[in-house]
Amino acid sequence: MQIDVRGEMCPYPAMKARAALQRLPAGEGLEVLTDHAPALSTVPWEGAKQGFTFSIEVVGPGEWRIRLERASTADDASQVAHEIARRAAELSGE
Amino acid sequence: MEARLQALRRTPLSLPLPWLGAAAVALALVLLLLATRAGLDVAAYWAIGLAFGVILQRSRLCFAGAFRDLVLSNDGRLMRAIIAGLVVATLGFSLLMARFVPDPSFGSLPPGAHVLPVGFSTIVGGVLFGIGMVLAGGCISGTLWRMGEGYLNSWVAMLGILVGLSAAAHTWGWWWQNDIQYRSAVWLPARLGHGGAVALVVAALAGSYLAILWWETRSPRLASAPPRKVTPPALGVRAQLRQGWNAVFGGNGWPYLVGGVALAVLNLFSYAFQHPLGVTGELSTWANRGTGLFGASVGPLIGTDRFSGCNLVAGGSWLTASTTLDAGLVFGAFTAAVLAREFKLRWSRRKSRYPQLLVGGSLMGYGAGLALGCTIGAFFSSVPSLALSGWVFAMGLLGGAFVGVQIIRRLA
Repeated sequence: MQIDVRGEMCPYPAMKARAALQRLPAGEGLEVLTDHAPALSTVPWEGAKQGFTFSIEVVGPGEWRIRLERASTADDASQVAHEIARRAAELSGE
Repeated sequence: MEARLQALRRTPLSLPLPWLGAAAVALALVLLLLATRAGLDVAAYWAIGLAFGVILQRSRLCFAGAFRDLVLSNDGRLMRAIIAGLVVATLGFSLLMARFVPDPSFGSLPPGAHVLPVGFSTIVGGVLFGIGMVLAGGCISGTLWRMGEGYLNSWVAMLGILVGLSAAAHTWGWWWQNDIQYRSAVWLPARLGHGGAVALVVAALAGSYLAILWWETRSPRLASAPPRKVTPPALGVRAQLRQGWNAVFGGNGWPYLVGGVALAVLNLFSYAFQHPLGVTGELSTWANRGTGLFGASVGPLIGTDRFSGCNLVAGGSWLTASTTLDAGLVFGAFTAAVLAREFKLRWSRRKSRYPQLLVGGSLMGYGAGLALGCTIGAFFSSVPSLALSGWVFAMGLLGGAFVGVQIIRRLA
């Protein structure tokens, strides 16, 4: 699903993203098109509260697309493994 | 064909940004040179204003958001960055003030410090300001910075702010007679000594920080940001320079903490030179000039010379250090936005937003008039001045933000 919140200022991008996430069909991600830089911080925060990870893509001058994807438990496990490997490398002085 | 036309319509109005960026930097420097003719302070505050705008634009340090997001989404990241900045500014301000007033128990206030009267006007001002900033999508400094970034919404909000400041000037006499003249400006070192006051304020800031951390855990969330992109090794000077440029003008802006601390250091520079940062007083002069066109300007306002803050100003010359500070803020934010390729003319498509911006701006302007400052002058510069007023105003802002959020939930 995609929502276009260009022209809207805080807090509307985050509020609309929150509402969209709540009625998002299972298995789908959400794309938020915005031209309000503070939304790059508030929209992912709303996503994180509902179990979504995010990525940000610059679309043009002052325009961004924020992608919110459901974090699967498999992803979490691989992140933990990655983090453990990183710390191990740090400790062994590499 | 239709699809292409639509794509064309959606393409934002884009300018050849690198050239525009170079031109903006050159113009800023030329104006700096010209400003030195009008006086060292006029030039210095132009430069401080530019830095102010760059810091706000790059770090998105939104004071309205700091209060609003605490209430709206249990998000304390902005407020924690501001508190970190306040700690830095408090330590710096207190060193300066200890030099200005070695014996604080004597009863004199440090010159320039934003030690403001604490009365009903502070609370009412804070609440009105808090409601207004949530409705208008930004406080006064936030509105100035977004005016430079290309938000037409913020120009509308500024119109509201000027209306509110003008209304405050016209009703100032009533507030002065019934409230403000009886109130004293509480400077904590006068009662606790320099050391005690600094210790109390830093402890209160640390306590607030911890309270916000606790408040954030009330709404559980994923712990994570996605893994950061690994920066490739910089081979050669060109790549080094590019990485340095990207650290400042690339990516998605600076972390809030960098913005909070940078703004605190800038505030300290400003106070070391003359007085702490504040943007409202100058705007009230402009508001008065505006109403003067309709023959409704006010004369000198009683009592405003008693306190140093962002007092309502009835008049004065056109080119002062406070003019260049505000203009520098707008121009600095414009320049940073252009250099970061984020400048864009944008506006709300919903017509109902415009009355909302005007009303929000007016409430903010009126509140700032009563409280002798906005989130910058009466809060970010007042708390480090070891004044009680900054804390009382902040409580008002938080209450106002709470009311504002209830309103905005119905205006979605």
